[in-house]
Amino acid sequence: MIVRAVVVVTILFAIALVGRLYRSWRGRLQTQRPAHPLVPASLLAGASRTWVVFTSPYCATCGPVEELLRASDPEARVVKVDATREPHLADAFSVRAAPTVLLADGGGRVTARLVGAEAVDSYVGRPRGG
Amino acid sequence: MPGPAPIDPRGPRFNQAVLAVALLTGFLVDWRPVVPLFALVLLAGAALGPRYGPFLALYAKVIRPRLGPPREMEDPRPPRFSAALGVFVLAAGTLAFVAGHPGIGWGLALLVGALAGLSATTGICVGCEIYLLAARRRPMAGL
Repeated sequence: MIVRAVVVVTILFAIALVGRLYRSWRGRLQTQRPAHPLVPASLLAGASRTWVVFTSPYCATCGPVEELLRASDPEARVVKVDATREPHLADAFSVRAAPTVLLADGGGRVTARLVGAEAVDSYVGRPRGG
Repeated sequence: MPGPAPIDPRGPRFNQAVLAVALLTGFLVDWRPVVPLFALVLLAGAALGPRYGPFLALYAKVIRPRLGPPREMEDPRPPRFSAALGVFVLAAGTLAFVAGHPGIGWGLALLVGALAGLSATTGICVGCEIYLLAARRRPMAGL
């Protein structure tokens, strides 16, 4: 019985640990990654600032993230890319989870990369340039 | 082609929470019938639809009316696939018990219980991720 209890407690501890690590990984903010290629001009459409939202058909938080970006940054262009329909584009930007959000300047340079809805929430809540 | 109607994601998470508690408690007290029992519970929801899963139905009829609307909805196919995987593993665990290998049986049951607990408490659904990986590797028709 004691051994079984130890096993159960270990499993519960592992669940908590994995959950914490996963949230940390999903929510991390990565900025100024020089390895990113330029965002294609077809997505920028001449805008000085573009949010590229990589989604998937099963992503429940992608819609709210897109709406949040439109509401919080009305001057920027927001473009949605379905990673399952544009796998080459998703691979080029190392998209492994949805939503993954890139912020590109007018030249297509990626100036911020956000993985997960929590990261977007925290980023758009910060003062511009922060 | 439009997909199936989205569902309240709290339903599958409630189902997973019950599954995790049941399997871990069953292991704690060495009550082996919990494994085939919950294989059938998962099978009902995965094969016939949420209304036939007893805990999915309990959530929909008793719990959800007492809660506010969900912040978001989700596609039902990934959690359904995940439940089907759970059925498969729990059925294998049941066979292991029958064949006289309780260690393997409980090992498989604890695997399902741990993953169900992980999904219920953190939203990390490993079965759903497997479904998505498979979906990305096949033609888009039918997705």
